[in-house]
Amino acid sequence: MAESICRALRDGALDGEHAPALTIKDSIDSPFGPDVFNHILTQVSANILAGKSQSRGLVLVAFSRSPSFYHNLLKSRGHDVSSSHNWLRVLDCYTDPLGWKDRLIERGSITNLSPETSVTVNLCKDVRNLDNLFSSILELGKGLVGQRKNRFSVAIDSVTEMLRHASISAVASLLSNLRSHDQVSCEFWLLHSDLHEIRATAVLEYMSSMLATIEPMTRPPTNGQIGNSENLSLLDQNSKRGKLHVRFKRRNGRVRLMCEEFCVEQSGIKFTSISSEDGLITQSLVPKVQFNLQLSEKERVDRAKVVLPFEHQGNGKSIQIYDGRRSLDESTTEIKSVSAEKLQTNEDSGKGEIIYYRDSDDEMPDSDEDPDDDLDI
Amino acid sequence: MDRSSNLLDEALGLDDYQTKSSSVASGRVVLIEDCVETSGAFVLHHLIKRSLTPHSSGIVIFVAFAQPFSHYDRVLRKMGCNLVVQRDNKRFLFFDMLTLECPDGDGGKTNEGGLLELYGKIHEAVEICALSEDNRNCITIMIDDISLMEVAANGSSNHVLDFLHYCYTLTTQFGCLLVSLNHEDIYSSMEGPTLILQMEYLADIMIKAEPLATGLATDVHGQLTILNQGISDGLGNSRNKLRNFHFKVKENSVDYFYPGTRG
Amino acid sequence: MLVHQETQGLFLVLYQVQYRLKMINLSVRDTEQEKDLRIAWQYKKYFGEHQQNFEYQRNGKPEYCNDFDLRKPLERHFLSGQCIDCISLQDSPNLATLNDRCSTFLAQLPRCDGNVMCAGRIAIQSFCAPQCEYSNMDWNMLSFIRSLKGMIRSSNAVAILTFPPSVVSSSFSKRLQHLADTLLSVRAIPDEDKELAKLLTGYQDMVGLLNLHKVARINTQVPVILEATTFSIKLLKRRSLVLECLNQAPVDASSGTSYATSGSCSGSSKTGTLDF
Repeated sequence: MAESICRALRDGALDGEHAPALTIKDSIDSPFGPDVFNHILTQVSANILAGKSQSRGLVLVAFSRSPSFYHNLLKSRGHDVSSSHNWLRVLDCYTDPLGWKDRLIERGSITNLSPETSVTVNLCKDVRNLDNLFSSILELGKGLVGQRKNRFSVAIDSVTEMLRHASISAVASLLSNLRSHDQVSCEFWLLHSDLHEIRATAVLEYMSSMLATIEPMTRPPTNGQIGNSENLSLLDQNSKRGKLHVRFKRRNGRVRLMCEEFCVEQSGIKFTSISSEDGLITQSLVPKVQFNLQLSEKERVDRAKVVLPFEHQGNGKSIQIYDGRRSLDESTTEIKSVSAEKLQTNEDSGKGEIIYYRDSDDEMPDSDEDPDDDLDI
Repeated sequence: MDRSSNLLDEALGLDDYQTKSSSVASGRVVLIEDCVETSGAFVLHHLIKRSLTPHSSGIVIFVAFAQPFSHYDRVLRKMGCNLVVQRDNKRFLFFDMLTLECPDGDGGKTNEGGLLELYGKIHEAVEICALSEDNRNCITIMIDDISLMEVAANGSSNHVLDFLHYCYTLTTQFGCLLVSLNHEDIYSSMEGPTLILQMEYLADIMIKAEPLATGLATDVHGQLTILNQGISDGLGNSRNKLRNFHFKVKENSVDYFYPGTRG
Repeated sequence: MLVHQETQGLFLVLYQVQYRLKMINLSVRDTEQEKDLRIAWQYKKYFGEHQQNFEYQRNGKPEYCNDFDLRKPLERHFLSGQCIDCISLQDSPNLATLNDRCSTFLAQLPRCDGNVMCAGRIAIQSFCAPQCEYSNMDWNMLSFIRSLKGMIRSSNAVAILTFPPSVVSSSFSKRLQHLADTLLSVRAIPDEDKELAKLLTGYQDMVGLLNLHKVARINTQVPVILEATTFSIKLLKRRSLVLECLNQAPVDASSGTSYATSGSCSGSSKTGTLDF
């Protein structure tokens, strides 16, 4: 859920903890990564401006779009860009990433004509040097929020571009160092999964606490002409809409999976909830073993008929289920320890017996219920 | 003066003659994909002609790896556009890259250097054109074709991508239109990330020329699929529109029509 | 088969390893010492101890022919007065030498308006043959072809090149195909195939199939849609080479009718697929 992502980014990092990191991943079948990225960027900016988020500022590392694009984007979403110098810094890796223009200017072939923008921009002329890039990001961030305990967010609009100029380990190192820096509140970045080897994508997923995968509504077949009618209608369907799958790594170690649909419009991207797919997700989580862990209807009924050894058998008393309301005294007087093998049906025998009360109805295995959730501390 | 619009112009957003500029909305990247069976070069010719119409002040910077000037000149002449005159008027700038020296594979420096030089020339030309107010937002950069640029760069697709990125920055800085052609079938058998996939991500508009599913025909030369992805700039441009139609290439023009509508 | 001298461009012929057309043939021996070199249909006869010089020219006019007997040696007078250069590709570590030789050769034939008196032909056989050292340097090979194409464009010459796609990657093959102005492919006909014998008339005389994929479109954007793209290669009376049209003409897509010609060929009339 996009909302949950934005909340997590807004809440930021706890002391001593790695900052939350989000990977937005798309592919050519559903190339809406930039739209999702822009949406998150706007939300994060809104939270910063409203003072709701842990971070006080945002450092945007722009590889695939110009700083002026982001200037226009924020403006169109209603943010006041004239005051952006208070909370936004853009590290421009788009205009001259390899220093070509710099060299040409030196020769006098061209003149410097960067478009004017009110967003504070720092130009990076060598994106291959990741150490410098890292220092620049930190410098910009600290410049924004000051030196103390204040934190800032970092956004990278294309890790795919970054990976064209540097190795995966260098990029992973940069992202990891940012995450563990005590002034970084949160990070998020965009990745085009089909432009990388599987390992690179896996590395970035490993580094992030949240993974948002963008997929088409219907996956088109991989071969065949683009022009045949079936492919065309699929393309048309996928051309504005898609699905967003989100994977959260929670603090307690569990993983939450969610799914939403989205539709891209002129004004931005709209998310809608999808009919529950949790069943599907759960089934895929259950490890595929040789044993059938599921129960058929008949098996379920048969199991219900099985009488447990300590439950009362046909002496007129119905099986009682402990509902937690009976006082402890009443129940304890009835429970005496006795040998497990023999079940005495004669209440007046005076011998010990085990009276067993189930505390709840049959519980399904592997239920999502976290017993800790019931705790009311 | 040909004021008629056709399906291709419509798909590209060129059919609105109320707009001042007759070129595609500025700052766009167009990718033309074709294959051995069906050449997409006619789309380039069409765009050249559109950009050089007399009632606009558009400029075309043409980077040619595939054919010499004489070829384009003769083709466009039959379409009613005189490239020699346009070249003399500085509206058609032709960079002949046919005989670009190919270094003997001695390393990355030379490849990068060659492309840096080329970029420098293009940027310089764009700057000069942009000085005049009329020409702003009407500059079209065309590359024919990218697969041959790769050969010239000795296979270093990373350098080609760097070059394309820099040309892309020209679209944002000067509002140019960047049009490039590449052959899709070269990359379709390759595993993993390819140059053309990178270009597809970069492109706002993709034009794909393919043969018909039914094979060769005398009066239909192929089909065009146009995907107008647009960029999320919040403006009301024709976004995410998909169109498909057939075409027949003639000497002086190209007929575009929906399947089965041809009389 | 000689080339019409007004066309310029790069021909590309793909061939299967088992079968080769004995058309234009380059010697595999380097005979740099000889000023007047030979190109011959049966090159073995003309090299080694059989080298000879001839100055014969009939009536002062150069003669061209497209009618030849593959089994006989070419008449001597056809070789006289011609400037023929032969280069071995097998021993060169890279293509730089070949590039230079082509460059020198083509420099003698600059393009000029007016009557074309002399046309140059460059023929390269088995360009990517694995026994050549440069054959695993894909980009070098592509660079050379591109460079050759550029040189050809600015001279009165044509180049014809054959290569085996089975020994190169599909991607490389496609790149070469795009570089070609005209693209042909040849396939062998299975021997003693009774099914084919029933299907194809004149099967006994057929030695192979020729497919036309692309025809040079220089100075025009209109593609050439041929009536036929598949031909059988026949050797009539064991002497003459004949190409006979095999497949149906292209369908008139809008009206739905199709033109049928005599002679059908199973499965091979699909343009664009190269069956190897």
